[in-house]
Amino acid sequence: MRWLNVLIARLRALLWRDKVIHDIDEELRAHLELEMDANREMGMTPDEARLSAAKSFGNVASIRDLAYEVKGGGFMETVWQDLRYSARMLFKHPGFTAIAVLTLTLGIGANTAIFSIVNAVLLRPFPFQAPEQLVIVGEFVPGGSVSYPNFVDWRDDRNVFESASAVRSNESYNFSGAGEPERLQGRLVSAGFLTLLGVKPFLGRDFLPEDDRPGATPAVMLSYGFWSRTFGNDQNIIGKTITLNNQGYTVIAITPQDFQFGLPADVTIPVGLSAERFKVRGGDPGIGVVARLKPNVSQQQTESELNVVYKRLEQQYPDTNTGRRAVLMPLHESFVGSVRQPLFILLGAVGLVLLIACANVANLLLVRASTRKREMSVRVALGANRWRIIRQLLTESLLLAVIGAALGIVLAHWGTSFIASQLPDGIPRIAEANVDLRVLLFTLGVSIITGVLFGLAPALQASRINLVDALKEGDRGSVSRQHLRSVLVVCEVALTLTLLVGAGLLIQSFRRVLQVDPGFEAQNLLTMQVSVNNPDGNQVVSFFKQLQENVRSLPGVKSVAISNGLPLGSANHPVFFIQGRPLPEPGKAPGAIRYTVSPDYFQTMGIELVKGRVFNVQDTPSTPLVVVIDEALAQHFQNEDPIGQRLSQTATGGPIYEIVGVVRHVEQYGLDGQATRTPQLYLDFNQMPAERWPGSVRRINLLTRTDVEPTSLAGAVRGQIAALNKDQAVFNVRTMEQIVSQSVAARRFSMLLLAVFAVVALALAVIGIYGMLSYAVAQRTREIGLRMTLGAQRTDVMRLVIGHGMKLAVAGVALGLIASFALTRTMKNLLFGVSATDPVTFGLITLILTTVALLACWIPARRATKVDPIEALRYE
Amino acid sequence: MTNPKADLLQGTLDMLILKALSLGPLHGYGIIQRIRRMSDEMLTVEQGALYPALYRIELKGWVSGKWGENETGRKAKFYKLTRAGQKQLRLEEESWDRLVLVVAKMREAT
Repeated sequence: MRWLNVLIARLRALLWRDKVIHDIDEELRAHLELEMDANREMGMTPDEARLSAAKSFGNVASIRDLAYEVKGGGFMETVWQDLRYSARMLFKHPGFTAIAVLTLTLGIGANTAIFSIVNAVLLRPFPFQAPEQLVIVGEFVPGGSVSYPNFVDWRDDRNVFESASAVRSNESYNFSGAGEPERLQGRLVSAGFLTLLGVKPFLGRDFLPEDDRPGATPAVMLSYGFWSRTFGNDQNIIGKTITLNNQGYTVIAITPQDFQFGLPADVTIPVGLSAERFKVRGGDPGIGVVARLKPNVSQQQTESELNVVYKRLEQQYPDTNTGRRAVLMPLHESFVGSVRQPLFILLGAVGLVLLIACANVANLLLVRASTRKREMSVRVALGANRWRIIRQLLTESLLLAVIGAALGIVLAHWGTSFIASQLPDGIPRIAEANVDLRVLLFTLGVSIITGVLFGLAPALQASRINLVDALKEGDRGSVSRQHLRSVLVVCEVALTLTLLVGAGLLIQSFRRVLQVDPGFEAQNLLTMQVSVNNPDGNQVVSFFKQLQENVRSLPGVKSVAISNGLPLGSANHPVFFIQGRPLPEPGKAPGAIRYTVSPDYFQTMGIELVKGRVFNVQDTPSTPLVVVIDEALAQHFQNEDPIGQRLSQTATGGPIYEIVGVVRHVEQYGLDGQATRTPQLYLDFNQMPAERWPGSVRRINLLTRTDVEPTSLAGAVRGQIAALNKDQAVFNVRTMEQIVSQSVAARRFSMLLLAVFAVVALALAVIGIYGMLSYAVAQRTREIGLRMTLGAQRTDVMRLVIGHGMKLAVAGVALGLIASFALTRTMKNLLFGVSATDPVTFGLITLILTTVALLACWIPARRATKVDPIEALRYE
Repeated sequence: MTNPKADLLQGTLDMLILKALSLGPLHGYGIIQRIRRMSDEMLTVEQGALYPALYRIELKGWVSGKWGENETGRKAKFYKLTRAGQKQLRLEEESWDRLVLVVAKMREAT
């Protein structure tokens, strides 16, 4: 604890300086008096006694100073002195200071911005009680959906979990309050959902088991945002009734303001109310499940215990549960797993930018150190020791870094909200990204590290001064300093190349993704979602028939269709069985994405027919059921002709469909979705019996292909919907091109950010090379003058200077290529259609960087040729 | 900044001060006198060396100082050996003994 004593002493000396000095003075005076007493006892006169004591004591002031320093005095004063001196120096060289601070602000600001996002999304624990105990339960795959009847069978088994709750997000509800009907995002959960998470409602109570069953009085929790937006923070809302899908729901709770769980939801409703909808054990539609592990029981252990239950279910329900197993996944993993890698790559990239910034500032400082050589040698001559000079110079660097950090935080604050606003939806907790204590500590740490990093080498160099040489006129710049600056430039170029290659690979990937043929024509296609909410299926059918006819008659409309799903979004893919083939092993049946569409869907979407026919008006509920499949499903027939074959979606007993056509495959999971294509099949809306139209809300997509700019027809189409049913909510009005663009938003975002970093790095590197060479040319003026006097031509001089710069650039490029080969494989998962060591990208980037470096060398080289030999030599 | 010779001297001075205080609490002047007496007048510690050393070992926690009065009523700061100081003194004495022994052995070996 000795350092603690020293620290306390130093602080004491700083804060109570007078008291400390007074104390020492008192003690020394007491000493003198004691000695005088002793002298008098030996028989001296008082005067003699004082004189003798004073003589033997020596220089009181210098003893006091020594003692004061031991008592911790001086250190803090020196720090303060250094700081004031540094501030003066920085003010005296505003140009240098501005460039250094700006560079550091960019570097530290970018790091802080990215780190605050990483902090919010990845590092900050979820605001739930003991979040590490929370897991997501899936069937078959981690995060997969769970069959509700299965869930109900093990939900109450307290031997497995502490508690478990269904969560089904992305539900939608029509809210008819005052005015226009509003579309709400909903979420279905089980009783005890909030209790499970350890979240206290802002108002009201959690769902109870009696709320969570068929036939219960409908209850609803409102999100804080929806409550304050719509009900103006009405404190008496609990117990009131709101109308969702024409049904009254009693408000029982308001969730806390900062509450978030997966996708946002305005309303949260017990899943048990609509248990009927989930009654099929086969798992379509399924639910998500969040559960809390029992204390001190590991995830693996819980998983195997849960699967004991699943083995029992397998015996009980072999048709649906054969091979069905539960898989657990930490909640954190399920929320942020997919964004972790891109974020860490971005963090790494800004780290590189910061390193480059450091190299640049270090270079600036080295240049300045040579102009301050006289100053330093005077200080050394006056008795400053080496450590003292290093300390002074480091104080200057740290001051620069701290100023850069302070401005960087401002930049980051602005940058974070900008980045957050640019990020695609669905990145969890991105809205919470802000500058918090952890971010401040990070920035402080970064600024200290950078301060030392860029300041130490120049400080060490400057402190190693040969007094005699330095005090003499004429400064040729030490060889080792030149050497150090060259190393810095080489590193800078290498780091820049690595960043450029990373960005280049992402840009290449993005280009490849955009070149992917989605399987449909995205131009001139307007989409919107219409919710069906009518218990009478016949009315729904006629509504959509009428709607399509009305929209088709609008001017500018080429064709109209409806479908239950759209490409480039999520989809469920139930299993299918080909008739006349042996049943596959239970659980091994292939799955296909299923769309239910109107006959004009293929024409409207621009999905090409490969073989056979698509649906037509002859297909009705009373004619044989037909299905259209895609090329991927057709491959399941190998060399046989799929047309005329028959499919079913249940192993036994379900409806059987005859294949009438094969169409092109459509990219369902994004343009860069999957390496292996998931088969797709289409059913005909017109063949669906009216009673299959559910009473609960379903979202139906209305697709309109136009001759004109599709958004210009949005109003007219909405008008047609309102004319048929004025209470009909319409939402998500988008063009297909917008949907395509949104599907690549995340990719575009990380590409853009990395590209921006790479360009900043390039700019810094160019400044670095240029600065280094300009300085070298200035220093070699005499040498160049001499060469020219001895007959060197301007081209020789150019070659000399450019050769010097390019030697460094090429070394940097070589080093950077090696680093890139090593680093780009970490981003393999982010790439698409391009290898991590894509020779084209590597070659192109090398070419760009070398060219830019050449330009940076050219300007100083030209300046070198303008050297007037006479002038340069006279200077000596 | 430090050289081994100074360290040796400083360490010795520390030990002398600790030794002097091991006989009882004392003020700075008294420490100098006691060291002189204990060394049969052979050793005089300068004030300029004593106080910095004294403050240094106070920071290390080996001695603690407190204002008081001597027998004639003079105010002075009295220093007292702490428990850590006693331990340190023992350690230093042991290492000194060892050093003396080693040097003696070396000198005997011809």
